Order: sequence, then C-alpha cells, then structure tokens
Amino acid sequence: MAGEDFVKALSDLDEAKVIELTEKRIKSKEDPFSIIEDVRKATEIIGRRFEEGRYFVSDLIMAGEILKQVMDILRPVMGKRKGVSKGKVVVGTVEGDVHDIGLSIVTALLEAEGFEVVNLGVDQPPQAFIEAIRKHNPKVVGLSGLLTEAIESMKKTVEAIKAAGLRDKVKIIVGGGRVSGEVKEYTGADEWADDAAVGVRKIKALAEVA
Amino acid sequence: MQLYKERLERLEAVMKGKEPDRVPIYAATAVWHGAYAGYTTRDVLFNYEKSREAALKVARDFDFDAWAVIAGLEGMILCAAFIEKAPEIGVPARFLVGRFHEALKDVFTRWPGIELAENAHPQFIGKEVMSVEEYGQLAENPVDFLNKVILPRMCEKLQNPGSPEYNAALARFGLEVERYSSFFNSLIGGLISLGYPAIPMAWSYAPLDFIGDFLRDVRNVVLDLYRHPDKVKQAVKALTPLFVKTAAVSGFVPPEVKRALGTDMVLCFFPLHLNEYLNPKLYKEFYWPYLKKVFEEVIKLGQTPFVLFEGKHDAHLETLLDLPKKKVVGVFEKTDPRKVKEVAGDHVILVSGPPNALLIGGTPQKVEEFMKKLLEDVKEGGLMIWPGVDGGLSRDAKPENVKAMVEAIKKYGKY
Repeated sequence: MAGEDFVKALSDLDEAKVIELTEKRIKSKEDPFSIIEDVRKATEIIGRRFEEGRYFVSDLIMAGEILKQVMDILRPVMGKRKGVSKGKVVVGTVEGDVHDIGLSIVTALLEAEGFEVVNLGVDQPPQAFIEAIRKHNPKVVGLSGLLTEAIESMKKTVEAIKAAGLRDKVKIIVGGGRVSGEVKEYTGADEWADDAAVGVRKIKALAEVA
Repeated sequence: MQLYKERLERLEAVMKGKEPDRVPIYAATAVWHGAYAGYTTRDVLFNYEKSREAALKVARDFDFDAWAVIAGLEGMILCAAFIEKAPEIGVPARFLVGRFHEALKDVFTRWPGIELAENAHPQFIGKEVMSVEEYGQLAENPVDFLNKVILPRMCEKLQNPGSPEYNAALARFGLEVERYSSFFNSLIGGLISLGYPAIPMAWSYAPLDFIGDFLRDVRNVVLDLYRHPDKVKQAVKALTPLFVKTAAVSGFVPPEVKRALGTDMVLCFFPLHLNEYLNPKLYKEFYWPYLKKVFEEVIKLGQTPFVLFEGKHDAHLETLLDLPKKKVVGVFEKTDPRKVKEVAGDHVILVSGPPNALLIGGTPQKVEEFMKKLLEDVKEGGLMIWPGVDGGLSRDAKPENVKAMVEAIKKYGKY
C-alpha cells in the first residue's frame, strides 16, 4: 500500500523516500487529499514519538522540513479545493521577543494536522493579537516566547485581550522553552507547553477536536 | 576582607567537590541589576557607569557569594577569530556587547534602542553565513576562514576588507573592547572591595554549537546532520583544538594575580545549546565526543569546566559518567537536579536553582517552599545555587523573591 509506506517513511523521517512516494502518488492521479490525510496520520505518530521521548527537537526540525517539501509538491495539484479545516489558530511571538524557531515548528505541525494557522510573526504587541482575534475569529490563540522577559509580555497580552472583551471568545495557550505551569497561572492563560509536540496536542484539545 | 575570604572558601569548596559550611549562591544577570536600580535595559547595556553603579547597589543590598554581570550576548566567534593574533582583543570580546554591535553592525544580534524597544532584552538571533559547500574550507583552517570569509559576512561594517569603512570599524571595535575591559575591571575591583570574590573564568565552546550558533544557524546544522554527516564531522574535528586554545589563552592567570585574588582556581565557561535539540544518536556521534575531548584537555590545563546544560539534558545524562569525577561544574537549566543525582551521582558538581518563572510570578513564601525542598533533596555532597537557573536573573525577577531565596538558603542550606 502506497499510503502505508508513505506514513511509515514520513514518520521515520526518511526524506528521500517521502519525496519519491509523494511524486509517485501524484503521477498515478491519486486524490491529493488522501495524501494529506496520510500526512496527518504521520504527523500524529511523530508527535507521539516526541512525547514518548523517542524523538527530539532535531527530529521535529527534520519533520518540518519534509512536511514543507511535501506541501510544496501538493499545493499546485490541489487547485482551489480546500480540505476540511479543524479551525483557525492565531499564533505569534509576544512583544519584546524576536525568536521564531518554536513558532515555526508549531505552525508546521498545526498545518499538517489540518488547522488554518494565522502566524503573526515575532515581537507582536497585544493590539496585534486583539486585531487578529477580531478579524479571524480563531478558536485558539498561541502566545510564544523564548526569553524569560516574554513572561511579562504574555501576561500583558492576556490582560489586553480580556480588556477588549474577547477573553471568552478564545482559548489561550502560552508556549516556549521557559514556560511552565507557574507561567500559565501568572499570565492567566488556559494552557501551557514547553515543547512543540505537547503544544500541538494541547491546542487540539483546546479547539475540541482532539 | 573577612567576607571575601568566607565567600571564596565556600565557592571553592563546593567547586572542588566538597561540602562547604553552607550552599553558596552564584548569581549572574545581564540586566536585572538595572531594573532593580530603576534603569532601562538600554541604560545599563550602553552606559557602563550606570551598569557599574547598579551592580554595586545589588552587591550591597543582596548577600550572594559570587555576583557577575554578563552584559553581552553570545560572541564566542569574536574570541575564536582574534585569539591567535590579538588575544588582548579576543579574550575580552568573548561576549558581544551593545557597543561592539554598534561598531561592527553584526547581523546576529538585536539591541534595545537600536533594533528593539528601550527596555527590551537584547537577543541573539543568528543567521546562516556559511553554505553547506564551505564545510571543507572551514575544516582546512578554521581561524583563517573565520577572519577572511565569515567576519565580512557577519558584520555589515566589515563587508569590504581594506575599505575606509572596514578600517574605521575595526579601529572602533578595538577602542570599544578597551572601554568595555576598563568597565569590567573597575566593576571587579568594586566588587572585590565589597567582599565579592573574583574567580577567573576562561572561554571555550562545544565545537558543534559553534557551527550552529555562528555559521550555519541552528536549523540548518540540524538538517546537515541528516544530509551531510561527513562534512559536519570533518568540521567539528577541525574546530576541537581551537576551543582548547581559547581556553588555554583566556585562562592564563599570572601567579601574582592568583595570589592577589586568593585563589588558584580557573573556571572555564561552556554554554551548551544543541544538547536539548539532538536525539541521543546524533548527540553521541557529532556533539559529545568532541566536547568531551575539549573538557579533558581543559581539565589537563588545570581548569574547571563550568557548564550551562541549557534546556532539557535528560536524555544525555549518562554520558556525564564518561568524565573524570568531580572535575566539571554543571548548571542544569530544565533537568530536574534530583534526576541528575540519580543518574550521575556525585560525578558532576551540581548547580541548580529557582527558575525565573517562580522569581517573576511567585511569592516569597512559594520561593521559600521551593528552596526548602530543593535543598533538602539535593544539597548532600555539595550543591551551588544559580538564581534564575534558566539564563540567570531575568529583568523581571522580583527583588523580594530573590531576597526570600537568599534567606531560605541561609536557613536550609547549612551543612
């Protein structure tokens, strides 16, 4: 089965084989959405292996790289048809922090899982999150940051979302290497994650599609 | 000088693998002293007088055992590039400070009042300045390659070697290194007179981190390990002796200085970055053998590696047993110190401490509870506390929480 081989190759991070199989499946006129369904299956396996301690950040970086190449091959053949979206997620790095590595990995994994991700980029003030919530009406908002100084910015952002009357409309997750349960309490977020795979699992739960 | 002697004995005892009278506190920050004294990050990073004044105020108001202000971002590339021909520049330029950034316009870092807001924390972002095809050239002659090829790409002001801009930038950089050194030495002098010991620190690096941090960028170096393993291996091999050399040169302390400081210890600083990223297979193949070699050579020089195990080091803990016993001081950022003890026993001299999230968002009572438990669980056999164990004291750490930490150590940290 092409599908099973593909899921195995992708979850084992066999870059050359994944690309070869993707091209083969496209050539044989297979529906690109069944390939995307396999991408989702493989992404789930990758996330699980990470949480079990079998995969590490290096493996997630490699996975993100392969996913990007697969999507680049699939995009032209998908045309204007859209898959079933699991919902919208707004993510961004909070004000004062310009790191984006966590943000990129989370975005790649969420997209592979079928979410529509609005990535605001780095150093985003509270107002940018508020405007994005009004415009995109996301289920979940992800506040990212690597610096310990980002903790205070996350708190300010959650407070601003509350002051704008939007707190009940969204679930908020804070994420980053120095984030913890303590940070979740302090900032008033609903969830926290200090790695990308756990972050994606919690975002799925928050979006009630887990 | 009684206080100086007392603190020094405490620090030396623990870092030589013994139990002192009580657990010592080694505090370090980039900007927290400024926030405490009412200054912005811009103020203390660009105005040395303000930084000195704020650091001395902290020294008077808090009872740490060692207190260090690290005013710069990761800049080991400057140290490595200059160490052979101009060690008087390479050694003090180990950390890339804001004024060096102004002089050279490096593409790696972002600073308050320049690219960032006045009170933002400076940040190292990095950039890919070396292509995959250039690994061979790097391996052939690392120092030559860094000077001829990398510095012009890393620094906008050094893009055109021999041009008026280039010469002016290098001259200005030299001047700023001298200014920074004078500040640093005057700060050390001030701290010594307040009873804070100065234990010399040498500079080294994990060879693979050097490629990830300064040449290929973290993401690319990870992909290179999957796609071009032989090229990477050849380069880390060639870089290994360079980081023994940086340690030997930066850690040379004349006997009269050792006598004046009252210590024969020389620590050697290693911040580890890719350790958390790599799976054990990659770690054992590309990272650890070369870092271990540097550790061994540095120990032979009589230095004590002082290692920041950034992120989660859990998966690699058993490799610590490959090292000579009680010769390496390890600060564990996100690895539970109990787990370090369980796996590595007293092989490595353990440093732990409260995370910044607790010092920012917690209360003095919560801090006391945390410290009590930590000390009860792992102080046996020797322990040192590094406040804000994730990167040193954060700008937003609350002074009352830091005070509560010191008090808790005095209460529960005695032997």
